[in-house]
Amino acid sequence: MSALDASNGAAAAAPPARFDVDRALNTAGAWALGILWFLPLIYAVWTAIHPGEFATRFELFAPLTVENFVNAWTAAPFARYFLNTVLLVTFILAGQFVLCTLAAYAFARFRFPGSSVLFTLVLLQLLVMPDILIVENYATMRMLGLVDTIVAIGLPYVASGFGIFLLRQTFMTVPKELEEAARVEGAGPIGVLWKVYVPLAKPTYLAYGLVSVSHHWNNFLWPLIITNSVETRPVTVGLSIFSAVDQGIDWSIITAATLMTSGPLLIAFLLFQRQFVQSFMRAGIK
Amino acid sequence: MTMLRKLGAAAGAAALSAALAAPASAVDLQFFFPVAVGGKAAQTIEELTADYVAQNPGVNIEAVYAGSYQDTITKTLTAARGGEPPQLAVILSVDMFTLIEEDAIMPFDDLIETDEERAWLDAFYPAFMENSQTGGKTYGIPFQRSTPVLYWNKEAFAEAGLDPETPPATWEEMVEFGKTLTKRDGDGNVTQWGVRIPSSGFPYWLFQGLTTQNDVIIASGDGDETYFDDPRVVEALQYLVDLSTVHEVMQPGIIEWGATPKAFFEGQTAMMWTTTGNLTNVRNNAPFDFGVAMLPANKRRGAPTGGGNFFIFKDSTDEQKEASLDFIKWISAPAQAARWSIATGYVAPRPDAWETPEMKAYVADFPPALVARDQLEFAVAELSTYQNQRITTIFNDALEAAITGQKEPAEALAEAQAQADRILRAYR
Repeated sequence: MSALDASNGAAAAAPPARFDVDRALNTAGAWALGILWFLPLIYAVWTAIHPGEFATRFELFAPLTVENFVNAWTAAPFARYFLNTVLLVTFILAGQFVLCTLAAYAFARFRFPGSSVLFTLVLLQLLVMPDILIVENYATMRMLGLVDTIVAIGLPYVASGFGIFLLRQTFMTVPKELEEAARVEGAGPIGVLWKVYVPLAKPTYLAYGLVSVSHHWNNFLWPLIITNSVETRPVTVGLSIFSAVDQGIDWSIITAATLMTSGPLLIAFLLFQRQFVQSFMRAGIK
Repeated sequence: MTMLRKLGAAAGAAALSAALAAPASAVDLQFFFPVAVGGKAAQTIEELTADYVAQNPGVNIEAVYAGSYQDTITKTLTAARGGEPPQLAVILSVDMFTLIEEDAIMPFDDLIETDEERAWLDAFYPAFMENSQTGGKTYGIPFQRSTPVLYWNKEAFAEAGLDPETPPATWEEMVEFGKTLTKRDGDGNVTQWGVRIPSSGFPYWLFQGLTTQNDVIIASGDGDETYFDDPRVVEALQYLVDLSTVHEVMQPGIIEWGATPKAFFEGQTAMMWTTTGNLTNVRNNAPFDFGVAMLPANKRRGAPTGGGNFFIFKDSTDEQKEASLDFIKWISAPAQAARWSIATGYVAPRPDAWETPEMKAYVADFPPALVARDQLEFAVAELSTYQNQRITTIFNDALEAAITGQKEPAEALAEAQAQADRILRAYR
């Protein structure tokens, strides 16, 4: 239906002879993908705000309820879990920004022996799935005495190969002249980084930050393995108690809990949508 | 920041416990447990642990929720390889061979000393011990154990003209009843299926019900041999496939586990096979009168057992091992086993637990709880071998290929047997 509307609109705007098939197809495709993406979310909202017997039945005037949210909230200490997740993603993002910025700056603008070998090693990190390293990481965290801390969840991800690569590519596109001008003004290497490179790479930081936060917000296996107590566990671990397949899944509660845990991310995305899309475009176009 | 706070808390707790426990013998235990039946199970385990600690001031037990069964074995093995295993854990009984191969666990025989303790090992249902013993030694103590049963909708039976109090007792009856119960609307679309045997994820478990009823065992007790291509296994798989394709009493294709109770409540199926772990859920949510029965028989009655056992880990001090054994003895004692069974629907793993006053009151009020126990007499070990994850994956894939019609049952099972042989040869 929306596809029809879209093509009608296109047809009305231009004379019929110059009907823009390409554009109509694009619009139809975008709508189709958009609706496809949105369907599970609509289902989740429908199920979460209605009593259990309407989970698989559609009735326009079915009674509304918030009971599912209340049940989900009380089934696990979610307040604490939320705090932990926020601390976790903040710690990881801050660490990644500092480390990746410094490393990327070094790889982009300094020549030092072994730099290409080192950079190759960093790129190799992109090929290794973090899950393969779980045992090694566990042993390391144990050696550092960090098992069952939020720091232990985040530490393996702080030196991100992807972040270094992305920022290096961005820094490489910054015109040398800008750096030279700053140097003439008396800026040292750190001053140049802070005053020239970082401000120009803002869209990249924003785009990378979004990817990083959503990834670590959703991460499950590693946090489950390295933590043991309520004080350190993130929301995803709390969410997992609802997926008890032996007993059959209660869709009402699980959708309520899912909306609750993904809610902050969804709201943040809707609020900053324009900035995110623009930053992705700018980061990509450069 | 948080780490500092945690460190501070840990130091405080250490100081406190040092002050409280006069003798320097306070034993710390870490205990990993999975949850497969909803939030209340976790709460009950934590309560039981707290009760034990309150009665035994010399022992501290940290009960750690470790996710699903799958997550728990991953977490435990990671911790063990990383050099910091828990002292005890509840893990799927079928992972026994994996844990032995990892050299992570120890037999209970090395810990027990008195005759009384030996009697304790013999107090459990033999059906549950099949998955807990190998090579003459006991590695696991049954705890959250289950078995599949048949649930039926009495109202649907009455509506179809069947006796609402009589579930199908044989394979033929299940097909016959199923045909009567399957309802179609004007366009020929099915509005109510006769039976539902879920097959997503781990189809082998319920399928093992069928093979056992067809009087065949699919793996040896030593865990180094499987018999997937036995003609009686092929026959059982053919029966399962025929339910959808020939008799048309079951929805075709892969059937979801998680959605099965809901489908039963909504009247999309008149019978379902699923675990006893669902009993409390069905009791609370079915909007109609329902019955619980043993699975139907063919050449004999039969069902697999399932669920988790207690394991004790090697890499601990002698005091910790002793304390672990004591805790397991306590939590598996009749009173605690009964409390756990009533709270979750799991089958209390020893006969004397069913003789406690609480349990008697419970079954008097809710007789279906007895069905699973009575079926234990006919139950066999759940499929368990060395390299268990790989072998069950091969078997599941073969079953799914046959259920979805990609392969003939005989062909799929012969291929699975050949693959399993290649893996298990090294262990013979």
